[in-house]
Amino acid sequence: MAVRWTIPALLLLSAIVLVLPQLVHNAFALDIFIRILLFSFIGVAWNLMGGYARQLSLGHAAYFGLGAYTSTIMQVDFSISPWIGMIAGGIVAMLASLPIGWLCFRLRGPYFTIATIATAQALMLVFLKFRDIAWGAEGTTIPNLGSSPLMMQFETKASYYYVVLGLLAIGLSITYRIEKSWMGYYLVAIGEDEDAAEAIGVNAPRIKRDIYMISAFLTALAGTFYVQYIYFIDPATAFSFNISIEAALVSIVGGIGTLWGPVIGTVLLETTSALLQSWLGSTTGGVQLTVYAMILMAVILWRPTGLMGLVSEAWQRYPGRKPAGARAAP
Amino acid sequence: MTDALVVSGLSKRFGGLRAVQDLSFTVRENETLALIGPNGAGKTTSFHLITGFHRADTGSVSAFGREIVGLRPHDVCALGLARTFQVAKPFGAMTVLGNVMTGAFLRDRHVGIARDKAREAIAFVGLSRHEATAAKDLTTIDQRRLEMARALATEPRILLLDEVMAGLNPAEIDQAVALVGKLSARGLTIVIVEHVMRAIMAVARHIVVLDHGQKIAEGSPREIVENPEVIRAYLGSGYVHAPGTGDAHA
Amino acid sequence: MLETVAQAVINGLLIGGIYALVSIGVTLIFGVVKIVNFAQGEFVMIGMYITYFLFSTLGIDPLLSLLVSMPVLFVAGALIQHVLIRRVLGPNDMPQIFLTFALSLLLLNLSLLLFSANYRTVHTFYSDEAIHLGGLYIPVAKLIAFVVAMVLSGALWVFLRTTDLGKAMRAAAQNRDVATLMGINPDLVFAVAFGAALALAGAAGSLLMPFYSAYPLVGQVFVLMAFVAVVLGTLGNVIGALIASLMMGVAESLGIQFVGADSGLIVVFAMLLLTLAFKPTGLGGGRMR
Repeated sequence: MAVRWTIPALLLLSAIVLVLPQLVHNAFALDIFIRILLFSFIGVAWNLMGGYARQLSLGHAAYFGLGAYTSTIMQVDFSISPWIGMIAGGIVAMLASLPIGWLCFRLRGPYFTIATIATAQALMLVFLKFRDIAWGAEGTTIPNLGSSPLMMQFETKASYYYVVLGLLAIGLSITYRIEKSWMGYYLVAIGEDEDAAEAIGVNAPRIKRDIYMISAFLTALAGTFYVQYIYFIDPATAFSFNISIEAALVSIVGGIGTLWGPVIGTVLLETTSALLQSWLGSTTGGVQLTVYAMILMAVILWRPTGLMGLVSEAWQRYPGRKPAGARAAP
Repeated sequence: MTDALVVSGLSKRFGGLRAVQDLSFTVRENETLALIGPNGAGKTTSFHLITGFHRADTGSVSAFGREIVGLRPHDVCALGLARTFQVAKPFGAMTVLGNVMTGAFLRDRHVGIARDKAREAIAFVGLSRHEATAAKDLTTIDQRRLEMARALATEPRILLLDEVMAGLNPAEIDQAVALVGKLSARGLTIVIVEHVMRAIMAVARHIVVLDHGQKIAEGSPREIVENPEVIRAYLGSGYVHAPGTGDAHA
Repeated sequence: MLETVAQAVINGLLIGGIYALVSIGVTLIFGVVKIVNFAQGEFVMIGMYITYFLFSTLGIDPLLSLLVSMPVLFVAGALIQHVLIRRVLGPNDMPQIFLTFALSLLLLNLSLLLFSANYRTVHTFYSDEAIHLGGLYIPVAKLIAFVVAMVLSGALWVFLRTTDLGKAMRAAAQNRDVATLMGINPDLVFAVAFGAALALAGAAGSLLMPFYSAYPLVGQVFVLMAFVAVVLGTLGNVIGALIASLMMGVAESLGIQFVGADSGLIVVFAMLLLTLAFKPTGLGGGRMR
């Protein structure tokens, strides 16, 4: 993108985003913003693996859940701060991604996807069955400590907003650094043609394993945040297939394998969802996902490169722009 | 002059099909060897075996004295053995520059250095004006050039070229031959699979002929062309006649 | 003890027949069109709802509604292939995966919207009947389902082996380009394959109704079984899918009998994991292509 107006635009955007909670005090609106930031972050985490390297996982809820449960167990059973629990959850997720990855990467294409779905479902089953670890099917609430920043509990929604904004910023900056580095090129190469990549020295299994760990780590952080935000956890929520779906969906709709794709996708999807909710009252079972499904189909059929693809193509019309990074015009 | 690539007793079956049987040949350093044979002879399979895309059932391959059977393709490449594919496999979404940089990253992970090396390789194959073009938008021939540039960026000592001349017109063949010549002049050891006889005669002093997975002849171009087994394999027994009476065929 | 095992095996085989119908559809589509149909389970669900409504409004027996559900779903399948699937066939598998996935999501949630999450059941005169054979208890409804499932599977197999169109499908499955050169219209072949697969799913739905409840999520259970069976039986292999489905039915049944009531899923996962760990070949786990 031409440097000329990108940086001022970004600065403006950052300013708005930073100031928003000071201007908007409506709890419902803030909740939507938080959801947007959270799912953007989850999407960014997914995108590293699913977007750049095209390893299309629909089982990222596994790591969301692992992160959520790790920090909750540490907090409820051992009174350890969720800030530490968040990192611990990330590490647990990273470690879990090793055997899961080993198993799933033995397959390619849609069968990889199916295997990831199966592992997330299997984890949900485990947490549903074994009450000794983690409260079984009913889950648990976390004790409400009022304002307790050290235990990641805040009085105002604005504080939660800033925490998740911080997470998103971390996710975006990691993505940016990777995209511009040798690893970014390697990821895209693997996503395009794994065999050709191997032929030029790319250790595909190792790169896939590494990016899966990073992706899992970040997703787990989101899980911890979510529990802290809603004060509740149970296997159905923590390992919800819907989370896996949305993680992939926002990236595909917004622009798979691009830096801002997941953010754009989330804004579109969550805003649509919020509008639907206000028109139809409380979530009428199935409406949100029906609409999501239709949006996904529309994107797949007409613009598989997502909204960012649309933007890029429009951008192509302007002469004098320099191509940047690994990707050409999609 | 050391032995760059020593293939010894290489065999591979796929179910009931013996794709490669007991293949052995040696390529000296900086030599250009042509691997020829009718379709289905096992030439590309041999490449897959050498570069680690298929695991050989028996036999050994050593590159500059180092045994490489059992190594994964990326390790084989790291050791200095690069290859192109019969049907080009570009990273479509990336630019030409991006594609080649990906190859260059094997030796140096700095983006700036990789970019410079990539530009060099791109210039070598004559694709500089397409540096910013998306790989999927290139013509087939340019995609093949891209394959070569990408392989070159990994700084190989041995280069395996798989039918880079297929479908080229005579002028393009001359260009390609010149390119192979330049590569050889740089010190590379080259193994080239080809059907275009003219090109083979121009670049290779040493030829190995495969048929049904087995080596049926080996020698200089002149020897090969007059070898009755080779004639039989390509044209059938009806064409075999006493040596010295026929003309070399293209 | 032996009787318990035998009973469990019978139970497993009977439901395995249904799994077979679903998994044969998946493997047929994979073999011919070369995509994975994530929505296969939802078409079973649709078959079930069609059967339910025919029964509750017109009193038509589920077995008779086979005559409706199968053709309807065949046409639906051909249309879906022609209008939707055809547009995403290509080297990149991301659109293929997410298109059928989106279809699955759409159908499931539309069904939730239209029919709510309530269980719908059909009670026929044979729903509670059973044959007693040497101490074994064989529910009539399940037996009929099994027999019809085997007949349909057999019919498909015969079709693939003997008819021109069937051979064309197998040819296209083995080598699409050469098949096209031979004058086979890939679009037609794909449409028939998709239609046939969905028709089998619809049949499964009709056959299930006498002893199984319909609800929006029901497809998910069967599709998971189907995928594992397809993987076990080798992708694209119809007989393999059949045998694997029967095996899985038996394994699940034995699991329920001897491990625990809700161990069915665990058995499935265990089988999937074992396959993945030890024999993923044929699934692209190997190197080239």
